[in-house]
Amino acid sequence: MKIKGAKAVHYDSGPNMTPLVDVVMVILIFLMLTGSFGAAAHFLPSSMPISMKGKGQIDPTKIPKVPDPQLEIFVASKTSTDYVARLADGVQYLNGVAPSGKTLVQALTEKRVAHEGLGKSADTLQVVLCPRLSTQYDHLMQVYQAAMTAKCPKIGFQSAKD
Amino acid sequence: MRKHHMPEMKEAGVNVTPLIDVVMCLIIFFILVAKIGVSTGLDKTIDAPTTYLGVPITDLGNALALNLYPKAGADEPQILVDLKGERQKELKLQDNKGGKLVHPLREVLQDLKKERGAKFKVIINADKGMRYAQLQLVLQACAEAGVSSVNFATKPQSKLVPA
Repeated sequence: MKIKGAKAVHYDSGPNMTPLVDVVMVILIFLMLTGSFGAAAHFLPSSMPISMKGKGQIDPTKIPKVPDPQLEIFVASKTSTDYVARLADGVQYLNGVAPSGKTLVQALTEKRVAHEGLGKSADTLQVVLCPRLSTQYDHLMQVYQAAMTAKCPKIGFQSAKD
Repeated sequence: MRKHHMPEMKEAGVNVTPLIDVVMCLIIFFILVAKIGVSTGLDKTIDAPTTYLGVPITDLGNALALNLYPKAGADEPQILVDLKGERQKELKLQDNKGGKLVHPLREVLQDLKKERGAKFKVIINADKGMRYAQLQLVLQACAEAGVSSVNFATKPQSKLVPA
């Protein structure tokens, strides 16, 4: 007896593609998100070699010569969290701020602008960081960053003996 | 008059074959473009200083990352690099080989500088508490090797508005 209302079976329906599409979409989203990872590290660039005019023990014949520094910044670590940066004018910046409230970035920017005001380009102003042997790397990088923020393109290091 | 019956309608559904083709192309594209598992040579366990300024280095193929670790009771730091397929190879600032004083780090830097030219750069990755006494020895070695592009690996910080 033929059962009425039964659906005709389609033998040519093929495999069900829906789960495949789901998996493929998940893989695609994973790859799109993964591509943006791994960019967490960034770098402070320096294109100046270490200055030969320092107090450290360097064989002068082996170090490329650099012109005399024009802007020296003396950096010393007071504690593990505090540091002092001093410019040639004697003003001391504790953690980048002077007692007057002026920041190291502002002071360096003024120096750079004054240098450019003499008709010279900023890349002829050579900033040389003069740390002590005990100066912490972190504090040195903070001063380095301040010089970069002040848009001084040439920043180098002086060797230290004490 | 003969009746013409309409042909039976079958459920067509959505043809997903072109969709899968396009999605496969996209997957292949992202696999090729995404940098998964590419080693920069930097030791992520080192607590580098935090800065708000910094530039990403895209040309890591021409860079050598120096991972510096303080050595107790010694003036010079321990330097580990990923070099020529060898991971975390130690490079000393100076060594005594058969009574002769050699400078392995400087020699490696000189060779790489000769090989890669002006594009060669060094990346220094050190703990934020490291003293300059140890860091300057590495900077001196870079200067003696003629490396002019020295970069410092830092961790990004949320941008502060400088005063």
